[in-house]
Amino acid sequence: MKTNKSLLGSIVQNVLLVIYAVFALFPLIWMVILTFKPDAEIYTTTFVFHPTLNNYRVVLFETDYLRYLRDSLIVSAGAVAVSVLAGVPAAYALARYNFKKKEDIAFQILSFKFAPEILVVLPLFMIFQKLHIYDSYFGLIWVYQLISMPLLIWVVRGYFEDISVEIEHAAEVDGYSWYQIFFKMLLPLIKPGLVSAALLAFIFAWNSFTFPLILAGTNVQPITVAITKFLGTGSAHYGQLAVAATLSALPAIVFALCIQKHLVRGLSFGAVKG
Amino acid sequence: MARIQLENITKKFGKVTALDGISLDIKENEFFVLFGPAGAGKTTILNCIAGIQMPDEGVVKFDGEIMNLVDAAHRDTAMVFENYALYPQMTVYDNMASPLRSKLYKRDEAYIKQKIEEVSKMMKMDHLLQRLPSQLSNGQKQRVAMGRALVRSPRVFLMDEPLAHLDAKLRNAMRTELKEIQVNFGTTSIYVTHDFMEAMSLGDRIGIINKGKVVQIGTGDAIYYMPCNEFVAQLMGDPEINLIPGRLEKKDGGYTFTMQEGGRTYVLPKDKDLFAKFDQLGASAVDMGLRPQNLKYSFTPQEGYLKCTVYSYESIGNKSVIVAEMGGQQLRMIAPNGLHVKIDQDVYVDLMLDHSMFFDAGTKVYQSRYNEAEIKAVAKWED
Repeated sequence: MKTNKSLLGSIVQNVLLVIYAVFALFPLIWMVILTFKPDAEIYTTTFVFHPTLNNYRVVLFETDYLRYLRDSLIVSAGAVAVSVLAGVPAAYALARYNFKKKEDIAFQILSFKFAPEILVVLPLFMIFQKLHIYDSYFGLIWVYQLISMPLLIWVVRGYFEDISVEIEHAAEVDGYSWYQIFFKMLLPLIKPGLVSAALLAFIFAWNSFTFPLILAGTNVQPITVAITKFLGTGSAHYGQLAVAATLSALPAIVFALCIQKHLVRGLSFGAVKG
Repeated sequence: MARIQLENITKKFGKVTALDGISLDIKENEFFVLFGPAGAGKTTILNCIAGIQMPDEGVVKFDGEIMNLVDAAHRDTAMVFENYALYPQMTVYDNMASPLRSKLYKRDEAYIKQKIEEVSKMMKMDHLLQRLPSQLSNGQKQRVAMGRALVRSPRVFLMDEPLAHLDAKLRNAMRTELKEIQVNFGTTSIYVTHDFMEAMSLGDRIGIINKGKVVQIGTGDAIYYMPCNEFVAQLMGDPEINLIPGRLEKKDGGYTFTMQEGGRTYVLPKDKDLFAKFDQLGASAVDMGLRPQNLKYSFTPQEGYLKCTVYSYESIGNKSVIVAEMGGQQLRMIAPNGLHVKIDQDVYVDLMLDHSMFFDAGTKVYQSRYNEAEIKAVAKWED
């Protein structure tokens, strides 16, 4: 009786999971299918059509798609790099040192994520014009800090707080300098947090649309903005649009796969008395 | 191997004064135990010596050299942390090798391997070397933390309750082992504990710390037999010392002691030095201190014995403790195991007055005791 029940339970569980998987994956599958359809069959066919690579050819070789992709890469990777370089020390300070208004500062950093981007983008646009950083890599990397920095600081701060301060003391007594302690003892312990936060920050920066739409123009065109170009005024090339979208998702996926092995939890367990 | 001196160290955390004018002079090659209740400031003293914390006032000296401005890495100390502070991403072997791989104390890998094998064999953990700290029990972690310190030959070993989480058998074995290591290495060691047995058996000298102050420094015997006040007397010794409030009166050239509870008067056995001290101090309200082994009991009425009732009888391993009660006064005494003792039955107690010590009832400060001169000689008393 009992085994029957648990069998039924696992069947229901698996059915539900399959339904969810289809639900979650179908839009993606549909998008990939669209990339192989000629324009004429976009609306008229579902699964049976005449597959073509024409969309890929047009997008990759007849537009500036690769340039947009490169811009996106530069801006997103640059933003994450800046966030890591500045955010990790900030997170360390917020976790370890006691100073006045510490929690206020931490909250202030988090609060950058509260307001919708559209709310701040107009004043930012004016500031960017005045500073002559409108439509530049620097400008976008800078404004992307609003997206990536709070995330990184808060996640990494939590990881630093989980590390007992005695570990640093022990390493000091063992004869290590602060930088050696940081790179040999602390970095391996915060790595899972750092990697996952950096990955998320990268994806958020990559997917950002409002900021590059308003704060960039012709020099710098991240992919998210550029994709809209495939929706022409007269004709909508959904096939090409699908190719552009599919390809633009690839870097984040590749990035995630590359760092997957670092996403282990609980590395700092067992250091101190439980 | 260094002489460690602390002069008037004061350390505050916000409004809390953790250390209040601590002065210690720890001799070269000495095994010095810091003993005191939780929160007394023992760990903070170690941290100040290791250079992990900076004292607000005062001077830390190694061999007469002022170390206040030397950072922890350059002080050449080895420390065992109370919460182990192992590096979780490293195996036991790498944890133990870590001090010998740092730039300052670098040794070649062959030496490291040999040293780790030696230490791990001694600590009975050579089978654990390839594990990660998360795969160890608390006792094993503690041994790794000890091992990480013992692979080095520092100027001073600082140990913060290194045996607290070991099981009783291993703790006893390690206690002996530690003492031997220290004798062999001849390294100055400072050892923090709140276990009175450890303090007594390990320490060449013991420093009693309470509320950020040094209360008494001396050999274990000196502190046990001549505690400087009632706090120390109660801290040292298990079961706890009996403190019997009463009144001293001079009579016929001698002294009598009248117990506050029950009003029984004892004629104190003659001790010239003790009586001279009484004459000098002239105090009448005192607390008499008597260790539990200096009380005799009988279950049948005896001449001169106090009639009490049994409050509790509990075994503490190889012996038992009877707590007798007379009015509000409880008396602890040692008895053999396996007695048939019923709670509230009558018990007759005799005080071995010639082992007693006396404290001022008001200030709780030690006044004098029987055979003081003799005990001073045995306990290597330093004034």
